[in-house]
Amino acid sequence: MRVLLATALLLFSACACAQLQDQPGPAGPTGPAVKMAPAPVVTIVQGQPATVPLSFRVASGYHINSNKPKSEFLIPTVLRVEATTDIVIGKTTYPDGQDMSFAFAPDEKLSVYSGDFQVDVLVRPLKSVEKGKYIMRGTLKYQACDNSACYPPKQLPISFDVKIAKAATAGRKNPAQSPHAHQ
Amino acid sequence: MLFAGIHASRRNRANGPSKGQLMGNLAPDFELPGLDGKKLKLSDLRGKAVLLNFWATYCEPCKVEMPWFVELQKQYGPDGFQIVGVAMDDASTEDIAKFAKDMGVNYPILIGEDSVVTSYGGVGVLPTTFFLDRDGKLIAREFGLQSRSVFVDHIKKALSQGQAVQARK
Repeated sequence: MRVLLATALLLFSACACAQLQDQPGPAGPTGPAVKMAPAPVVTIVQGQPATVPLSFRVASGYHINSNKPKSEFLIPTVLRVEATTDIVIGKTTYPDGQDMSFAFAPDEKLSVYSGDFQVDVLVRPLKSVEKGKYIMRGTLKYQACDNSACYPPKQLPISFDVKIAKAATAGRKNPAQSPHAHQ
Repeated sequence: MLFAGIHASRRNRANGPSKGQLMGNLAPDFELPGLDGKKLKLSDLRGKAVLLNFWATYCEPCKVEMPWFVELQKQYGPDGFQIVGVAMDDASTEDIAKFAKDMGVNYPILIGEDSVVTSYGGVGVLPTTFFLDRDGKLIAREFGLQSRSVFVDHIKKALSQGQAVQARK
């Protein structure tokens, strides 16, 4: 898992940093305020669950609500992955939001994501799934603000690959042998 | 001080697309339903200076402005000033009404439509606020949270402009 995370961060640095130049403009962000780093290909054994870490970056100058904002009126960040017939999408784990105050309401704390954050998705292929590479697709819904304005909610299309590997067939167990069997 | 900083940064943002096409011209007319279902037509407010505020329940900076708007409506309403809020979010009318009630809003809140936003050059930033003089001409536009004094300046200007004012003199 550590290797996967390190790979994701490295890819983020190489790719996403160059793309995230969306500073607040006259009519809002010129591009998406949130981008996803290329996700590592996770190998999953048929019938076994595995966690796929998805890394996102909020452009400098913006914040988005966490998955659990402090007000019913605020729009939470939600990841939805489309299930396929053979691959079940399990629990999505979001990081805790950072409690932050902003210039527009210095006495109020909001639960937000800014900078980099990671969402983990539990993926479980059925035992019957053919081995091979599968593309999973979905969306990250978020609503961004900066220090003095907010922007309409957006749906960021996301995708990641999973490699399904064959489950090891149960080998014939060696019969129990007495330590004295070869004597 | 804090809002002066915000104000300064926002002033630089105020020159958005299509400003030239809108400013100095009649504000695009629209008719939208209010929280009680009754429709309000913008041009029916001709003769009054109007502050047209596009906002949303999810917009925290919008919440900061609302108490000021409540005060400004009380203060300048008797002079022929009217604030109109246009809610631009997916929340239900009930939720918007609850929000407005919690904020003590004393001016009409209308349920926004994309066609109205388009006619105003798109509202990609919330809050976005337009100021109309008594003739219904757009005289100013502000993106994002502003200091209270910015609103007061625009309101005074809006109240002092228009043929309705000239006729009184």
